[in-house]
Amino acid sequence: MKICQVEGTLVATARIGSLENRRLLVVKERGSSGKQVAVDPVGCKPGDWVIAVGSSAARDAAGSKDYPSDLTIVGIIDYWDEANGKAGA
Amino acid sequence: MQIHRIVRDLVTTKRNFWLAAKSLRVVEDHRGNLEVALDPIGAKPGDFVITIGLSAARVAAGNPKITTDLTIGGIIDHWDEERWRS
Repeated sequence: MKICQVEGTLVATARIGSLENRRLLVVKERGSSGKQVAVDPVGCKPGDWVIAVGSSAARDAAGSKDYPSDLTIVGIIDYWDEANGKAGA
Repeated sequence: MQIHRIVRDLVTTKRNFWLAAKSLRVVEDHRGNLEVALDPIGAKPGDFVITIGLSAARVAAGNPKITTDLTIGGIIDHWDEERWRS
């Protein structure tokens, strides 16, 4: 699983039918510069640190084996201290 | 999923049977690296799109037997180059 920070929502009106009307978020993986798009079944806010799963687990995590996601958010991290790079209160 | 921009169409007349008659697009990422993606929507050059990779690309193509590892999932309504490259 990857540790990512949520940057904001992404609106894509023209999309393939199988993506349904799920919420898509722009996330930045910790320690990398590139942005990625993740499916959000949890309900995150911009700025939240989250854990996201990739590969075929992303499809299951989005709710069904037939859902075309390669990155799905599975949880919001309660406390993340970015300065230390580890979880803690 | 990744954010890509459509560069142009790609025509391959001789192709693998399991690519079927799907349209292909050349897409670039924020660093300018080019890749080829399958396009079930009909995106135009210059459009910013969400691309689905890994095994989900085959599901997104509508048939898990289609041989693709990158499929366009949607056209982004509002996106700009500055946000893309930052």
